[in-house]
Amino acid sequence: MEKEMLYHPLFIGLLILLSFMLLICLIRAVKGPRVADRLVAVNMMGTMVMVMISVLALLLKEGYLVDICLIYAMISFLAVVVISKVYIGIYEERQHNLKNGEGGDSNERG
Amino acid sequence: MSAAEWIRFILGSIFIIVGMVIFFTELFGVFHFKYVLNRMHAAAMGDTLGISACLIGLMIFSGLNFTTLKMFLIIVFLWFASPVSSHVLSRLEAATNEHLAEHCEIYEDVESLEQELAARREAENTNEKEAYPS
Repeated sequence: MEKEMLYHPLFIGLLILLSFMLLICLIRAVKGPRVADRLVAVNMMGTMVMVMISVLALLLKEGYLVDICLIYAMISFLAVVVISKVYIGIYEERQHNLKNGEGGDSNERG
Repeated sequence: MSAAEWIRFILGSIFIIVGMVIFFTELFGVFHFKYVLNRMHAAAMGDTLGISACLIGLMIFSGLNFTTLKMFLIIVFLWFASPVSSHVLSRLEAATNEHLAEHCEIYEDVESLEQELAARREAENTNEKEAYPS
């Protein structure tokens, strides 16, 4: 009983602190002037959400929540890699199209 | 509560507080620096060190069971994944920014960078010899 009294406020305080930091990260993601800024902010948010899920797993005494945390880590890593690769591809295609447009044959694509 | 449990609680709390301090440093750095490639340095620190400290504290709280093993797996995965994602993000920035030269020095190839580094090292060596003649 005494143990609960000690751990419960710590976990609740930790969750409140982490949610405030998450909001500040969101401000960075909205403000960021470049695409890479937003991706860095989203990566940070993913890290903080991972800590939040682990704290919840101990607070609610549900061990399987840590599995979700592991999957979250993998998906957030995959999202960053795939989005940056896709954005590089889109950017190069746009540059290619611009160059072709100057050359005169704007009908060609790809 | 016995003394061993008090020690466990205090040790875990110290680790978690260290993790929170590192997260605050990360946030401060992300708002303090002016360019993405500088901000990434602060953000990558929180990705590995901050979450490691927080999860080690939670591992001490949870004791010796499968939850601890899974948290350790998360830490190991992030140690491998975070440098890769930082690398990919910096490649994205270097590939898509047309005004990169305003923010950092750019070398056309590796050889010119090596030449300049060697020249700088040589200059430092001669300076040291002038300052401390043997």
